[in-house]
Amino acid sequence: MEERTLKVATSSYACLILAILYVFDPDMATSTSDDGNESVATVKKPLYESSTQFRNWRCSPEKLAHIRHSLNEAAVSAIRNTFEAAEPGSSANVSFLDADEELLLVKLYVSKIPQLCALFRFPEEVEATAITYLKRFYLRNTVMDWHPKSVMLTALFLATKTTNNPISIEAYASHIPKTAPSDVLDLEFLVAQSLGFEFAVWHAHRALWGIWLDLQNFPGDPIRLPMSAYDAALGHIRTSRLTDTEFIYAPSQIALAALSLVAPDAATKWADTKVSADTDTSAVSLSSMVESIKSLILSSGKIPDVESVREVDRRLRICKNPEKVPGTKAYLAKRAEEERLAEEKRAKKVEEVQKAMGADPFGEEIKNDAPRPGLVDYDDDDD
Amino acid sequence: MTQSLNKHCRSKHAQSSMAPRSTVSGWLQGKTIRKAGATANTRSSTPNQVQSTSATIFAGGVKDASGRTSEYFSMDDQCPVCKSDRYLNPKLRLLVSSCYHKMCESCIDRLFTLGPAPCPICSKVLRKLAFSPQTFEDLGVEKEVAIRRRIAKEFNKRREDFLDLLSYNDYLEEVEDITFNLINEIDVAQTEARIVAHRAENAALIEMNLQREEAYAHALKEHEETEKREREFRALELRREEEEEREEREKGKREIIDKLETSDKDANKLVAKTRANALKRSAARFASASHLQSSAQLLRSRAAQSTVIPDIPHVPLQDDYYAYEDKFRTKESGYEDVFSEAVRQDREGIMRGGGYMVEEAWGRALMCAVAALEVPPLVGLEPILSSEQTTAVHAPA
Amino acid sequence: MDVVEKANLDRQKRWIKDSKAGEGTYAVVYRGHEAATGKRVAIKKIKVGQFKDGLDMSAIREVKYLRELKHQNVIELLDVFSSKMNLNLVLEFLDSDLEMIIKDRSLVFLPADIKSWMAMTFRGLEFCHRNHILHRDLKPNNLLIASDGQLKIADFGLARDFADPGFKMTNQVITRWYRPPELLFGSRYYSSAVDIWSVGCIFAELMLRTPYLPGESDMDQLKVTFRALGTPTEEEWPGYMKLPDYVTVGQFPKPSLRDLFTAASADALNLLNKCLTYEPRRRISAREALYHSYFFGLPYPTHPSKLPKCAKQVAASRPLEDLNGNVEKDATGPGVHAKNNRLKRKLSSPVDEPKGRSIARRLDFTK
Repeated sequence: MEERTLKVATSSYACLILAILYVFDPDMATSTSDDGNESVATVKKPLYESSTQFRNWRCSPEKLAHIRHSLNEAAVSAIRNTFEAAEPGSSANVSFLDADEELLLVKLYVSKIPQLCALFRFPEEVEATAITYLKRFYLRNTVMDWHPKSVMLTALFLATKTTNNPISIEAYASHIPKTAPSDVLDLEFLVAQSLGFEFAVWHAHRALWGIWLDLQNFPGDPIRLPMSAYDAALGHIRTSRLTDTEFIYAPSQIALAALSLVAPDAATKWADTKVSADTDTSAVSLSSMVESIKSLILSSGKIPDVESVREVDRRLRICKNPEKVPGTKAYLAKRAEEERLAEEKRAKKVEEVQKAMGADPFGEEIKNDAPRPGLVDYDDDDD
Repeated sequence: MTQSLNKHCRSKHAQSSMAPRSTVSGWLQGKTIRKAGATANTRSSTPNQVQSTSATIFAGGVKDASGRTSEYFSMDDQCPVCKSDRYLNPKLRLLVSSCYHKMCESCIDRLFTLGPAPCPICSKVLRKLAFSPQTFEDLGVEKEVAIRRRIAKEFNKRREDFLDLLSYNDYLEEVEDITFNLINEIDVAQTEARIVAHRAENAALIEMNLQREEAYAHALKEHEETEKREREFRALELRREEEEEREEREKGKREIIDKLETSDKDANKLVAKTRANALKRSAARFASASHLQSSAQLLRSRAAQSTVIPDIPHVPLQDDYYAYEDKFRTKESGYEDVFSEAVRQDREGIMRGGGYMVEEAWGRALMCAVAALEVPPLVGLEPILSSEQTTAVHAPA
Repeated sequence: MDVVEKANLDRQKRWIKDSKAGEGTYAVVYRGHEAATGKRVAIKKIKVGQFKDGLDMSAIREVKYLRELKHQNVIELLDVFSSKMNLNLVLEFLDSDLEMIIKDRSLVFLPADIKSWMAMTFRGLEFCHRNHILHRDLKPNNLLIASDGQLKIADFGLARDFADPGFKMTNQVITRWYRPPELLFGSRYYSSAVDIWSVGCIFAELMLRTPYLPGESDMDQLKVTFRALGTPTEEEWPGYMKLPDYVTVGQFPKPSLRDLFTAASADALNLLNKCLTYEPRRRISAREALYHSYFFGLPYPTHPSKLPKCAKQVAASRPLEDLNGNVEKDATGPGVHAKNNRLKRKLSSPVDEPKGRSIARRLDFTK
């Protein structure tokens, strides 16, 4: 108590002094001063809620549908234009994919990741992270631009790096048929960029492990469940990765739901000890959330059947964006356009440099008072 | 030339404030560090230092900025004369002649101990002392460096010695020309003549410049010496003051205890008063102590600052993050846990010796299990995704 | 893709590059400012496609962790934007680092200053550990100092999450002089205690004004460490002789730290001892350290704004290591500093710095 009053006294005193100081030394005064306790709010910031996962990759089901729909629409119209530009009338017979079909395809490739991980013996962390990356990628891009098979391979490779289980590209590519290292690496930057370079992911399987441990510490009697229960719950979590649960709910909630599917009583008992006393009764309750997750897992957690996917894949081959396929007219046109822009930029830079140097190629005698022009950086192709 | 090198050597040695940690003994009062070059293959018993087998001490070698020379060696070294290499003879040391040919110490001993003899590679007559250790990997560089050093001694005019930039540039060009000739052995005789001519013409100026440089080096050394002395003195002062401060504190503590025993005033007030006194005393001491001007100034300004921006007591954690500490407790006795079986069974004690703490992994899982457990999901189209959202990378404070 | 591109373009416009501050193997660092406010920033541009395995691991780690960590004593990542093949990290601009301050002999450290720096270091580190992140490259060079005196931990190029049980980690981390003995003995399973050892070395260095345990090779590092702290016994550190790269280093008696750290208080020595405990499990944790009596005793830690600062000149010509994440795993302590800086700074000489010296200056090895 004493400390705090001292601090308050200090801070107001300090404010006064800072004001005076400002006259003498603006630097000192404008610094954010002592120890950050100036902030009035004593509302604590929970760690998970400060993570990029919570802040940037969390949506409602409606929002998810909306995003996918608008991405799809925009893609279709853009590609249609490309078709028309290359060859008028060519787009009339093309049957473009819709958002649901895109999702179907993505789901299929999501289901292939565990198989690959088993082949390479990657740990669970890698598998879960790769799946998350793949799903997030297609909240920013369309399958008609980038085929999920290639993105999947790249996402997995990237996941091995971000989770500290790196593997050399040669070792990776050599174990995947018909894949060259460049196929994987070419897309890496694109994937990272689409993820917003937000690589840290919190996973439900770790939360499950946590619940499992905590059950042993249950007040009164530790709750002991057989390992088979754990494995079953983990199975549900793996199924949940095929769904959108990770975008709607928190990992802890998903884990609780998974456990609830296997051992509902234990789950409820545990949850009751964690719920805070002052929850608003009108707000969404934990148990209702758990129920929603459970139904999501059970309904949408199925691997798409091969037949329907085959059909979609076939149509994709026709409607995919020619701009992204090396060799097509549209692709070459796009490259030419990019080259032109780059050339323009370069020419502008050369002009600037020449102006800076003056007429004499060897430069005039260096005068200390001559103002130096702004730095021209050839490396810098951002501007 | 060796003489002036020695002088530089000695003066540099005296200047170095931090003793170099090289373990090799010095010769001619310079410190030699053996520097290893690119190695192709090494045996485990390979020495990483070059040792000398000859009785003669070889001078020379190029010094770097701190006054030490480093000697170049590589595992692929081989004496061109006797063909021994470091594998067969670990103590192999190759030296360079004045005609820039390499050979090992034993060959040199063998060939030149009895007096001047022709170089086995180019037949130029050499004396034993004409050999020096190699500093650079490339002999061409070694030669060039030696030549440039020599030229620098003679041609040391500065920009101020010329009327205009053009003539200075001409001078520089001529010097470079001469250097180039000497390095590549073009028109050597003629070039040497030019050097002599230049020396004759500008003897006075050269001399003056030399002296000026020496004076500069001398002034610098003196300056550093005085600074060093000042610093040591200041450190001594500081230590003394800290001693005093500690004693004061002890005394203060004793005072408090005494006062608390004897008086019946409020304990808190007493403590506060004694503390205030102690602070005043130390501030006064700061203001009055230290004879050295700079130190006194510093401390005075610090004390003054304390009354403006006070030092506040330590607050261990100053952020307002919440790590769900109230939602879980790590079990003291540990968990039965399939995943940490390997840790538990760590028979050799390797994981334990390395310090792996499975509790940290457990803590992470537990935190994950309770994080945001009650946070409801978003509904509707309201909140927007990162691409459209504010460009803030981090959560707003 | 266009959604992403457009977002990037907007972000990019917020920041203006002013001048190049330096260049490393995988990144170029620019000084810059925020267009709207003029606030100074450092923009680190990482080129992609340089390495055969794609995006460089150090770059990935830096972005991954800096994205998630926001704390007063951890360097702040203000923004990230990317263009065709470049990744740009906008970091807060920090003038100097602790290494420069330690080396600047014209600065005098009060015990209160050291206490303040240590407190800030521990706070930053505790925050990393609370987020289950190991830094694995703590050294004075990576502790940057802001203009308001706040210390910030930087360079997360070697950081990683705590390992799950049974997973090996590399032991080739942390600059040699600050590396704990368990890593020198090749341990592949370790914990956050490795960072505490580094902080202990930094603490000692602040008091001595020179690196405490400077070894010249990994083997030598062990010798230096044991000589300074005594060879550990099996009771002191159970199981250490079974570590993968264990070698006998020699029997050295345990010296009294008081002999070397003459000016340190008893509390300070106690904390130092706890940081440099041999057995990693018994080493103090960052949080415990913050509650150590050393910090609560007098004198109070100096307010950050009053801490000693480096001369502006030196701050202006900062060597690159401070701003880029270029880690050389075997670099021994001090980075490259132009020796000439010393001359220029100290000598306000009667003899004017010779301007157009003779051409030989460039290859002048006679000095």
